[in-house]
Amino acid sequence: MRNVERLCLAHFWVAFAAFLVAAVLGTWQMWVRSPLGAQIGTPGQYFMSVTAHGVSMAYVLTTFFIMGFGYFVAVTSLNRALPGKLWAWVGFWMAIVGVVMVLIPILMGDASVLFTFYPPLTATPSFYIGLVLVVGGSWVWCVLMIVAMREWKRENPRRPVPLAMFGTVANAVMWLWTTVGVAVELVFQVIPASLGLVQTIDAGLARTLFSWTLHAIVYFWLLPAYIAFYTMVPRAAGGRLYSDTMGRVTFILFLVYSLPVGMHHLLMDPQHGNGWKFIQVLLTAFVSVPTLLTIFTITASFEVAGRLRGGRGVFGWIAALPWERPMVLATGLAFVMLGFGGFGGLINMGYGMNAMVHNTSWVTAHFHLIFGGSVVIMYFAIAYEIWPRLTGRDYASPTALRLQLWLWFVGMMVMTLPWHWLGLQGQWRRVANFNYADPIIAGWGPWVIVSLVGGLVLLASALLFVRNLAILHRSPVPAPQQPLYALAVHPPQRVPAALNGFGLWNVLVLVLMLLAYGYPIAQFILEPSPSAMVHRMY
Amino acid sequence: MHERRILGTELLWAFGVGVLIAATLSMIVFTALTGDINPPSNVERLDPKTLHLSGEFAEQNLGTTVGADGSVTVRAIATQFMFVPHCIAVPRGRPVTLRFATPDVIHGLLITGTNVNTMVVPGFVAQVHTEFYRTGDLLMPCHEYCGLGHSEMWSTVQVLPDDQFKPGQDGRVSCAQR
Amino acid sequence: MVPDQPPAADAPSEVADQVDERALAEAMRVVPLGAGVLAGLAVALLVIGYLLIYLLVFLPRGTVG
Repeated sequence: MRNVERLCLAHFWVAFAAFLVAAVLGTWQMWVRSPLGAQIGTPGQYFMSVTAHGVSMAYVLTTFFIMGFGYFVAVTSLNRALPGKLWAWVGFWMAIVGVVMVLIPILMGDASVLFTFYPPLTATPSFYIGLVLVVGGSWVWCVLMIVAMREWKRENPRRPVPLAMFGTVANAVMWLWTTVGVAVELVFQVIPASLGLVQTIDAGLARTLFSWTLHAIVYFWLLPAYIAFYTMVPRAAGGRLYSDTMGRVTFILFLVYSLPVGMHHLLMDPQHGNGWKFIQVLLTAFVSVPTLLTIFTITASFEVAGRLRGGRGVFGWIAALPWERPMVLATGLAFVMLGFGGFGGLINMGYGMNAMVHNTSWVTAHFHLIFGGSVVIMYFAIAYEIWPRLTGRDYASPTALRLQLWLWFVGMMVMTLPWHWLGLQGQWRRVANFNYADPIIAGWGPWVIVSLVGGLVLLASALLFVRNLAILHRSPVPAPQQPLYALAVHPPQRVPAALNGFGLWNVLVLVLMLLAYGYPIAQFILEPSPSAMVHRMY
Repeated sequence: MHERRILGTELLWAFGVGVLIAATLSMIVFTALTGDINPPSNVERLDPKTLHLSGEFAEQNLGTTVGADGSVTVRAIATQFMFVPHCIAVPRGRPVTLRFATPDVIHGLLITGTNVNTMVVPGFVAQVHTEFYRTGDLLMPCHEYCGLGHSEMWSTVQVLPDDQFKPGQDGRVSCAQR
Repeated sequence: MVPDQPPAADAPSEVADQVDERALAEAMRVVPLGAGVLAGLAVALLVIGYLLIYLLVFLPRGTVG
């Protein structure tokens, strides 16, 4: 494995440790805000927990997992040593320092601003500088992914970049674009305010810059799951990828359309007008396309596998699939959650319809289901798939893996489906405790408890996940040598340059970003909005 | 051989997807242009540091006012950690304009059972137009995290029938005492 | 630095799989009929659900703008 085992495992263990802590915190939060925990916990503790939970799940689990997975893909799909491995370790440690600088203020109660940290609420400087370091470490990863692909292309002229690496570099390029928004917000607005260099801050501009990052970041999280769908799942199912070309098209569509759509998080905001909101809703409709293409392509790939195993008729191939394999099971469960989560997302982006759900539990339900559900279950599956390759050992039995995946699915559905309903009733977000004596709120209590039960199932699943990986390190069963990546039904001999690199697409990203965000950001400079007083939370 | 057919099928599926998206977007555009279904988007700047001192959002102007032309306007302030006024009266079945401002941090609000939903961002006036279809008492919580007291920040909206929605001499309407 | 030999687990994408090309050709005569139906049904449900919420929940709650 060309000596990246330790690099990958280091990233993964940091990611999963953060995940486990965040799972415990999330469960505590659910208990405290339910009727069962009405007397437990202060608001100070609650919002400290929400901040830690959000930062761990949204910034630490994701970034470290994606970096580790990227290093693995770069080495295994290109069959090549990782260029600049020393730099990879520099990036890792930079991000670790960042995580520590973020966590300490949170634990001291000086950074209860949540993972979205909307100013004028302002945390202590260490919190933000730590985030900048985490992002900086991830930029090192981005550069190394791009360099790895470039060097491979030089050594393999006119050959198609292996799809897994193509997707990984698409993600890296997209991440570089994505982080610009929050980096500008932090460096030019929030950190100066938190250092006391300025006393006021433009809240509308900060929210707009953050929205640039806030949507695209979820695709940064999502793309590794799609890389697994296209390049690992078909082989795990015993079949072929229906179309390699559609894989490339999908990754390109995500690169192009993930970014100029952030304003759909600001549909209820007063600092932008209808016209700009509508343009970004239009572009958001385009970003639904790669997902809709993917569900068809991967289902078709499953159909290939199922028919090769003897499935007959319109649906017979479904039962014929090897559902006992964790990667196959996880994909099926992920697709079910993607259906529900995607449905919620379509409502969220529905222009005026956003008014029905904004900042209610519907939104919380949506992102827990689509990210915590579909995406994270694929992170589990990816980890299960590559852990034997990293450790050289295999599982004694896949039963515990399947159990863990089922628990995650059931827990996530039980937790999030009631939240959709509660959101429509008007239950709002980020609340430490509800007044269950109020007649409107009283009716919500039972559903909140149902949700809590789902959360407890998730906690059990989270513990089992970490246990499954931990014991593998000591397993006596040697890992079998078997290929990882899927072949396509029609393996490409040549692909057009546009499907083998990102030069053209970067230009398109720039054009779309100028169109969608150009004026909405420029307006704050051309006609500055009155700024708000910085409000210290420390 | 395979490849052409595969790409053809994918294009067919993509075409179907495209039709669906176009249809949905058309519905959104149609209701936006004809049915008054838009996200609240009145871009109006206001200095948060002075809004309590004078002008539209001074304390004496807050609450529900019926203008000479019969138009109903609600003005309220969102602040850490309450809405002023704490109770708002609105009429059933008449167009209402709600205007919000904040002197401090980002808040947000919704009114349960309705489509009233807006962020309240310091530096801007948030404005929502709507009509309330049913009488009753509704909750208007702050739905964006605004600090440790966020959970306690909410107010009440009374949707009053015509016979109870009576403006005083100054055009103001207060909540019914219950 | 000693270059290490890649084990088979490193194998690049071109490594052959167990799939028999004739069986694949046979399967490809039907694929993607099943997928089209399944994915089509799922998307149809999505659209119907969307319309139901739009017409039955959202619009009755009042205008917004």
